[in-house]
Amino acid sequence: MSSPFELTRNITIGQYLVRNSIIHKLDPRFKLASFAILLVGIAICDSYIGNLIGLFLSIYLFHLASIPVSYGVSGLKPAIPFMIIIGLMQLFLYKEMSPDNVIYWQLGFLEVSSASIKIVIISVLRFMQIIFLSSILTLSTSTTEITRGLERLLSPLQKVKFPVHAFSLIITIAIRFVPTFAMEMEKMMKAQASRGAEFGTGAWWQIIKRTTEMFPLIIPLFNVALARGEDLILAMEARCYTPGSSRTVYTQYKANGNDYVALLVSVGIVFVLVFIPYPW
Amino acid sequence: MVERGLTVRKIVIAGVLGAIAILLGVTRIGYIPVPTPAGNATIMHIPVIIGAIMEGWGVGMIIGLIFGVSSFLNATVVLFKDPLVAILPRLLIGVFAYITYVGLKNFNQYVAIGMAGFVGSLSNTILVMTMAVVQNYLVPGAAIAVVLTQGIPEAIVSVIVTLAVVTTWKKLGPSGKQKSKIS
Repeated sequence: MSSPFELTRNITIGQYLVRNSIIHKLDPRFKLASFAILLVGIAICDSYIGNLIGLFLSIYLFHLASIPVSYGVSGLKPAIPFMIIIGLMQLFLYKEMSPDNVIYWQLGFLEVSSASIKIVIISVLRFMQIIFLSSILTLSTSTTEITRGLERLLSPLQKVKFPVHAFSLIITIAIRFVPTFAMEMEKMMKAQASRGAEFGTGAWWQIIKRTTEMFPLIIPLFNVALARGEDLILAMEARCYTPGSSRTVYTQYKANGNDYVALLVSVGIVFVLVFIPYPW
Repeated sequence: MVERGLTVRKIVIAGVLGAIAILLGVTRIGYIPVPTPAGNATIMHIPVIIGAIMEGWGVGMIIGLIFGVSSFLNATVVLFKDPLVAILPRLLIGVFAYITYVGLKNFNQYVAIGMAGFVGSLSNTILVMTMAVVQNYLVPGAAIAVVLTQGIPEAIVSVIVTLAVVTTWKKLGPSGKQKSKIS
């Protein structure tokens, strides 16, 4: 049972599992590129069979990376109640004007049709695939590797004066601080609750109550974040960090056969997902 | 020393506020389910507005990008599974908030911060809904209803949080903590 106070348990972002698998050994540049390609493929694919294939493949990736699937599933858990509510709303309220849309049930403005059923199932499948894929990426790649990979991938943009290094540093700081702030927020929730504040007691239709419940949490969160930011600024300046100056890196990446294979396989999967006309 | 472009301060502030945007997204604290076609009211655009007020439109745009990508990846409705709806409008929240803040700064700091929160939040709602209509997810009537029923309360929440956070940070009121003096 997870209580509303356990935020860190459900956050899989920024966690890294040390393993010695094929996926872990991939060059981060190629891993990120393949991830982006697969993500686009999943976002475009809108057939049942395509999405099921995608789901099986993303579960298979856990096996390849020798990471237990439970890590991916734990990322899904917090979203389940919302998925149910939104799924129900889409099921009854979604309308589509097309000749092959069969209406199964209708009451006033509520209707269940083949199009609305399809949209609910597809969006659930798609959501699962995206959570699984991004958990595999973050669980098998350390944040440093992700940043370096991103920096290298974006480096052509330096030609148009885009601050690639600063940008990838921002992303690293953001990803790095998510678990820290989750911990801080947990502490603050407990501190406020011990003073009698209520969290999560408002039912979902009590929108105003749910919003005002958040104020004693959000405002200190910003202050804590900014205070930590100040500390980090001081630490970076004390070490003479200069943005925009050219720097060399210790780790050099060199792509080998496996990396090209991974990229080709991802492109292949996207073709299978997007361009094959599935009957369903 | 006046540095040009991205300073250490800008980089770090964009990073930590981006982290808040991601955190509010993954814990779903930033979403408040409401019965409108958009599915959720959000407070995730507030880090963008605060970043824009504190460090300028560039920082606002970067946090907006992080917010957009995070809402694209966390989306449960079809509407936000489209990068043109989820990401593109979010880049401009910071720009609008910054312009409002700078325009009113010399009149009154409190009014400027509050209005920046209001305009930033409303620009999020209006731009997202415009893109939703352009991309054919919603009819114009439904989009206007969303702006009125959801955009206005969201903007009020945004004004409260922005004012509370930025006034403490800028030490407009009585406050103790000093910030780094080097930059």
